[in-house]
Amino acid sequence: MSMSHWADEPLDDDPEDSFVRPYTITHGRTVSTHLELTLITLVVALTPPEEQLGTRGLEPEHRFILEQCRTPVALAEIAARLNLPVAVAKILIGDLITLGTVAARPPVALAVGQRPDIRLLQAVRDGLRRL
Amino acid sequence: MGYDDSDRRDGAAGSAPTAVKFLIAGGFGVGKTTMVAAISEVKPLRTEEYLTVASVGVDDVAGVGDKNTTTVAMDFGRITVSSELVVYLFGTPGQERFWFMWDDLVHGALGAVVIADTRRLASSFGSIDFFENRGIPFVVGVNSFDGRQDRTVPEIREALDLDPQVPVLMGDLRQRSVSRDVLLALVDHLESVHS
Repeated sequence: MSMSHWADEPLDDDPEDSFVRPYTITHGRTVSTHLELTLITLVVALTPPEEQLGTRGLEPEHRFILEQCRTPVALAEIAARLNLPVAVAKILIGDLITLGTVAARPPVALAVGQRPDIRLLQAVRDGLRRL
Repeated sequence: MGYDDSDRRDGAAGSAPTAVKFLIAGGFGVGKTTMVAAISEVKPLRTEEYLTVASVGVDDVAGVGDKNTTTVAMDFGRITVSSELVVYLFGTPGQERFWFMWDDLVHGALGAVVIADTRRLASSFGSIDFFENRGIPFVVGVNSFDGRQDRTVPEIREALDLDPQVPVLMGDLRQRSVSRDVLLALVDHLESVHS
């Protein structure tokens, strides 16, 4: 796998202009019922968006998320690309989990004071050395 | 789990990657986003979160603190290590007293880098205290934008009142190799601190 750097690519325009009252999109909900979701929970679509049935009634933001997570992507990244706060992204992604259109993969569990798995650390080290 | 090919206990789900995170902390303007940008494979992303915080101040009548919602923003980047492991680097928001309460940001972090600026070391005290209290291992990266340092590592170590085992590295964090070496020192530290 080649280790590219973002500065090698053309810069995107900053999507500052797409301000929408965030909780309108969630129909007033302010807290996700999917409490297991975190910033680095990886979200992936279970089937391609065009093949998904029963997705009528979804907001455009839901469809955007389905497009974004054709390959696994972290929840924080989806929130950033939606230009919406993390809390709102969690609600929308939670809707899609409930619908069964996406799956969420939790991050590596880590208790405070517990040493991370030595193979995990070695994998991180190997990845950094390739930069 | 599933960050290497020998670990496929969870069947089909094992083919999906999993993620870990490091926090990049330090006072306002010390170069957190600079470090994220130096090492991320994507242009740093920015996201916001609403935090509900009890208002603090001398006006509080006992037990009648208002709750306010405040918005904090953070920049973050990504390093794809393999098809099974993605590393995220989160630059902590500038307003320390808010992100200290952002559980989702802090919880589960493998470790942290506290960036220090020798001209105003005090701006790093808050992060250092926070990670010490939370038991989150960290290293200190001393940023020298111009390649010049007016303080030695022992001086900085003393000024920051660091535990002797906490690594301190100096360098220009705009350089990818320097930021990478700081993270490598953190990974080494994670191994030693628990062994």
